[in-house]
Amino acid sequence: MISLTHYLVLSGVLFALGFYGVLVRRSAILILIAVELMLAAVSINFVAFASYLDAKLFTGVIFAIFVITIAAAEVGLALGIVLRIYRERSTANVDEASTLKW
Amino acid sequence: MSMAMAGILIAIPASIFVLLALTWKVLPRGGDFLVVLGFLAVWLLGLGIAADFTKHFHDGVFAPNGANVFSFDWINIGDGLFHIQFSTWVDSITVTMIVVVSTVALMVAIYSTGYMHGEERYGWYFAALSLFVTAMLTLILSGNLLQLYFAWEGVGLASFLLIGFYWERQSAAEAAKKAFITTRIGDVGLLIGIVLLWRVAGTFDIQGIIHFAEEGGFDKTYLTVAMLFLFLGAVGKSAQFPLHVWLPDAMEGPTPVSALIHAATMVVAGVYLVARMMPVFDVVPTAREVVLYTGLITAVMAATMGLVSNDIKRVLAFSTVSQLGFMFVALGMGAVGVAMFHLFTHAFFKALLFLGSGSVIHATHEQTVEHLGGLRKKLPITTWTFVIGSLALAGIIPFAGFWSKDEILHTAAHSHPMVYVILAGTAILTAIYSTRVVLLTFWGEPKDHHAYEHAHESGPIMAGPLVFLSLLAISSGFVIFHSVGAALGFPGGILETIFTEEPEVFHFDPVFAATAVGMSLAGIGIGFAYWWGDASRAVRARAWAPELHALLVNRYYIDDLYQAIIDRVILGLGNIVATFERHVVNEAGVDGGSQLIGWFGMRLKFLQTGRIPNYALAMAVGVVVLAVMAFRSA
Amino acid sequence: MPLPAQLDRAIVTGSLTAGAIGLPYILVVSVLGIMGRINGAEVVWWLLAGLILVGAIGSVTSNNVVHAALSLVVAAMGIAGMFVLLASEFLALVQVLVYGGGVAILLLFALMMTNASDDPIVVDGSQKPFGFGVALVMGVVLVSAMVGASWNATITTVVSFRDIGTRLYRDYGVPFEVASLVLLVALIGAIAIARRDTEESDAA
Repeated sequence: MISLTHYLVLSGVLFALGFYGVLVRRSAILILIAVELMLAAVSINFVAFASYLDAKLFTGVIFAIFVITIAAAEVGLALGIVLRIYRERSTANVDEASTLKW
Repeated sequence: MSMAMAGILIAIPASIFVLLALTWKVLPRGGDFLVVLGFLAVWLLGLGIAADFTKHFHDGVFAPNGANVFSFDWINIGDGLFHIQFSTWVDSITVTMIVVVSTVALMVAIYSTGYMHGEERYGWYFAALSLFVTAMLTLILSGNLLQLYFAWEGVGLASFLLIGFYWERQSAAEAAKKAFITTRIGDVGLLIGIVLLWRVAGTFDIQGIIHFAEEGGFDKTYLTVAMLFLFLGAVGKSAQFPLHVWLPDAMEGPTPVSALIHAATMVVAGVYLVARMMPVFDVVPTAREVVLYTGLITAVMAATMGLVSNDIKRVLAFSTVSQLGFMFVALGMGAVGVAMFHLFTHAFFKALLFLGSGSVIHATHEQTVEHLGGLRKKLPITTWTFVIGSLALAGIIPFAGFWSKDEILHTAAHSHPMVYVILAGTAILTAIYSTRVVLLTFWGEPKDHHAYEHAHESGPIMAGPLVFLSLLAISSGFVIFHSVGAALGFPGGILETIFTEEPEVFHFDPVFAATAVGMSLAGIGIGFAYWWGDASRAVRARAWAPELHALLVNRYYIDDLYQAIIDRVILGLGNIVATFERHVVNEAGVDGGSQLIGWFGMRLKFLQTGRIPNYALAMAVGVVVLAVMAFRSA
Repeated sequence: MPLPAQLDRAIVTGSLTAGAIGLPYILVVSVLGIMGRINGAEVVWWLLAGLILVGAIGSVTSNNVVHAALSLVVAAMGIAGMFVLLASEFLALVQVLVYGGGVAILLLFALMMTNASDDPIVVDGSQKPFGFGVALVMGVVLVSAMVGASWNATITTVVSFRDIGTRLYRDYGVPFEVASLVLLVALIGAIAIARRDTEESDAA
């Protein structure tokens, strides 16, 4: 019997993995991949709750649809920005873009 | 006429002040006509109130000694917890003051339209004059000490503004500061006194405090201290020793201002205050003694200083100080009626003298008596009105000053013989310096021929007030007579009737009066002996005792003493405080704090790496901490 | 033995590791299923979970950016399977379409255009140990929170396409429109930001 906790733990682990990726990656594109992972973890969470606890309204599913939509939009836009930065600075590594320094 | 007009009395000059202060630059003639008309209305209203007062006096409306005729809530905190009314208290003292203030103010306003003609800040002068009259009327109508203090500062402010009217002139600015700061010392005393009274009596209401004191509510020593503090305010405002130093310097202001503020009205505020609080002073005779001897010292000292001053206005200023001393002597003897009577007559003849000196200054642009002379032929009206004023000052029968000074001497002779002797000597000195000024200014040979040639009488605008005031200088003393009093509505004489608290029956003692007049004549004779003609005797007298002359010219070195105290003690203390401020407060406290922050900033700025992953990590740590906290609490 | 040019050391070690861990895992799960200790759905779930974790770990640890992107696709496919298990077929299809078809292609294009694959193979920043610690604490907190709570619930109905359509267009019409607007803006924004300026292209 697959319980709700199965899915929740899976989503938690996925989220932590994405978190790790965001923190340690240098390349903006890799960071983006990690963010996608985090979003996917949240989607699982939403859908699991919707399926187990909210079978009538399944609001979580609707939310997951929106999450996927926004994730797609985000990837499109963020990659545009990455391209732009790359053209300006010849690198897509975020730790080399340090003009905010003291 | 309703007594509630007392409120309107204050409202008229107040509204004129506001209007003029805002619009004098655009009004035709600087709005002086508004001031003259307004003061005329104040004068008529004031006389109406006085008439009403006499009419209702026996109706019991004012029994036993006055009534609050108009008031509104001024401060009301905690619904009656701290409740101050803006009140208009009318009694005999108030009525006397109203008549004096409104009359002199009107005369001075009219005179000023001529005297101040062509001044750059002509309209502002009249605005300040209105401010002064507003504050002065508020002061004399005040039924509680807080309102009185408020108005007290108001007249001080107006005085400051008008003394410093020619602020471009260094000496005028200095004099304005000196007057303000010196009187401020007294004002602080007054405030302390008021608070001390309030602390025990629990009210600012004057009648309430009097009642409380008469019932013995105060501790005697406490009350003595409180009243001495109160008297310190009077000493400052009325230029009594040792705070008299500001008044001679205040002559830097326009002469009509000297006539109004520094002769007739503001400087007598101290006399008014003591007279108003006399029932309380009666409870503590020690404080009253202090009043008496302060007045006595001042009277003598100022008269001697007046003997040697070369500035026509300063002679009059010293004379004012001296005469105020006379009033305080009368108050010190408990004779409120006598003091108020002298205040009444003195206001008119001293204002007359000031306006006369103003006429001389206006004609010659010269106010040093040694440069004047022989103006009698050029300025006949000024000369004779000035002579009338001087005779009143010297105390020659039947001029106004005689009657009131005679009353003071009479009171002294019966209770304080030594005081009487000293006052009599001072009266002789008064006659001497009056004569000196008259002779040096109007008789003798002109010393400055250029000024003399161009001198001429300045027309009816300025001569009118002189003539009117000289009539008052002759006649205002007559109110003392029973028949005059009866004609004015006081059966039995004004003094006897209106000052019911201290009924002083006026006895005209021919021998006593003759003695007084004789002394005055002797003084005039001495004056003639020394200053008639080329004043050679006076020059020789000066050479005979140069140290004494120097002492008097330097005003007993009191100003120098104060200057030394300021230089040595106050500036020394100031330096210590300034050093402390500069090194401890500023460098260690203020700058030190900022430098500390800067020091930390220089080191903490390296946290701002500009690298987004670092920021993300910091944020992540925060999120994790929050998550842990949420998890632990759940 | 020299490696072929297409295969670098990472691919080999990654494949070997995956095989070494993955095959026994698959074996264990299958045996448990056959023995009847767990039912069919659970077998599928565990297999999918393993697939997802492999994909996720690969995408955040791989030193090769192209592999990272492809690992993300693996994880996304696994998640799509999870959606099927969660009775949301529609979502599973969307997941496959958007991630497999859209996001992965976009990422690969971006990698290609930034030549990121040619970068020296230092893909992780200097704060890696700290990041690992923080993420570990985060994971522990999350998992313990998930495990700590208990729900007595089972999947009751399958969410049909019709139901989703009804809900989406009837109850979430406005958010839906806003989302489409967001997509439009993202589209325009991406073009506006990423396109070369006119002067640059002229100069080029």
